[in-house]
Amino acid sequence: MSWWRTPTARRYLFGYTLLAPAVLYVGLLVGVPFLFSLYLAMSDASVGSPVARFVGIENFASALENAVFYTALRNTIVFTVGAGILKGLLGTTLAFLLLQPFKGRKVIRALVVIPFTLPIAVSVLGWKWMFDSQFSVINWALSRLSLIGTYGSPDWPVWLGQPGLALLSVMFVNVWRGFPFSAIVLLAGLTSVPPEILDAAKVDGASFLQRFRKVIVPMIAPILFIGSAFDTVFTLSDLSIVYLLTNGGPDGATEILPTLAYNTGIRGGALGRGAAISLFLFPLLLPAIILLLRTLRRRQY
Amino acid sequence: MATLVVPAPRSQRHKELRRHLLVYAGLTPFLVIAVFPIFWMAITAIKQDADLYLVDAVPFWFRQAPTWKNFDFLFHNTSYGAWIVNTMLISFWVSAITILTAVPAGYALARLRLPFAENLGIGIFMTYLVPAIILFIPLARVVSTLDLQDSWWALVVVYPTFTIPFCTWLLMGFFKTVPFEIEEAAMVDGCGQFGALLRVVLPVSWPGIITAIIFSFTLSMQDFLYSLAFVSISEEKPVPLGVATELIRGDIYFWGSLMAGALLVGVPVAIVYNLFLDKFITGITGAAIK
Repeated sequence: MSWWRTPTARRYLFGYTLLAPAVLYVGLLVGVPFLFSLYLAMSDASVGSPVARFVGIENFASALENAVFYTALRNTIVFTVGAGILKGLLGTTLAFLLLQPFKGRKVIRALVVIPFTLPIAVSVLGWKWMFDSQFSVINWALSRLSLIGTYGSPDWPVWLGQPGLALLSVMFVNVWRGFPFSAIVLLAGLTSVPPEILDAAKVDGASFLQRFRKVIVPMIAPILFIGSAFDTVFTLSDLSIVYLLTNGGPDGATEILPTLAYNTGIRGGALGRGAAISLFLFPLLLPAIILLLRTLRRRQY
Repeated sequence: MATLVVPAPRSQRHKELRRHLLVYAGLTPFLVIAVFPIFWMAITAIKQDADLYLVDAVPFWFRQAPTWKNFDFLFHNTSYGAWIVNTMLISFWVSAITILTAVPAGYALARLRLPFAENLGIGIFMTYLVPAIILFIPLARVVSTLDLQDSWWALVVVYPTFTIPFCTWLLMGFFKTVPFEIEEAAMVDGCGQFGALLRVVLPVSWPGIITAIIFSFTLSMQDFLYSLAFVSISEEKPVPLGVATELIRGDIYFWGSLMAGALLVGVPVAIVYNLFLDKFITGITGAAIK
């Protein structure tokens, strides 16, 4: 009997046949484009001309010579790190609150996760209206509380029109959208710690802090890593908040790498330069991806 | 231990009450921040235009009679109807492609004890993390090669790049929970491997498959970048893109219609997503909990 007629060989053949469509689709439309973006980044491809010339690292070099690139890079990092810390703090607080047994827990949980479940373009439009330069409901309330001046006075904040405030505003919307996700991921981790283990540690005389450090943290660490890795990837690569609220303005104050890549590559038609800018995101993404990969693999075996 | 506790119902009830109050007090700011924007969008959607710009009166309620004219405007003066149809068709085709590829793949990875199955599974899942912002420029070339630019079909081709990885991973976890015996019994009864999958495993797996369809829909609805990059003709746009780009004319924002159009599709998506949120979290963290 030849080897390919054995049940094992037939099972393998059957299995890889079932896998083929998914692997091919993802390979052709993620793997190949990813490699293609490396090639594009080293060419002078543009929307108008289909024939592209190889230009080596010229696109990367010209990005590095551009002052706007550094602003975008700095904003991307400030945005991701700042929003990440806030989401972590708020998410942890919310998770511990939701961990308590209380009446109406399910309803409150469902309401508090709304920001994460709304399609992103939809909720950003709502924020754009709330940040309106003249009819902002936030300003109306602050003004009535006498925390800010009246419309037209120098104490009237124009959220999306003043450089410092604009960056804070786009970060705030990212935090608003992301904190429920952090909380729910953490909650899933916390509820996966069996109470018996905590009781056992308590009986052994461990203080709350010790139980937290020695039992809770190691047990929920993997799930936390995965949650924050996901969040980092989505925050780093999301363009819709900035694009819809400020499109990088005022005067580049909220420019981030995704908006710069989009405006250069698609709007400006310089595909090669746009691809090069978006690839600068990759080294920033890599730590999150490696962390995730290691966590996933360690738990598999 | 329990027998030693003297029942003290009154002070206990007080303690319970105090604990509840503390938790509610802690949750209130979160609730307000999470829900207020939705309330504000909803009330804006049914306010008259002039009512939006009355700065002296309290804005949290109607100063003039509520109106449906913002919704009328959407359906009569924009292509909103077409956007809804496009969104539904896109989601339908994306779900179909996703189910046809992710169900067999998830099944093979979970149950056929293939060499490299774990690594392949992780590999497919990792592609979920290659962000659109890196892929959209090369995919723009793919889209124009296929001659699909400015057509919603471009999005049908592109969205499975994130729904297939996610749903394969989700279904892999799901198929692991189906007992092996039912398949073996079917094969003893003379079904081949494929017959067992078709006649025995799939019929008991419909909850997982429904979940995968739901996520194909909701994840497609969360996209903004791909539609922005590939579709610029109004009639071909999906709802989020259409609302975000066609209701702003120069410096003029049609706030009432913007909010109406955003919520009309956003709220159903949020509700469905909400119901399946735990499955989403298990989907991405599943391997870490097991």
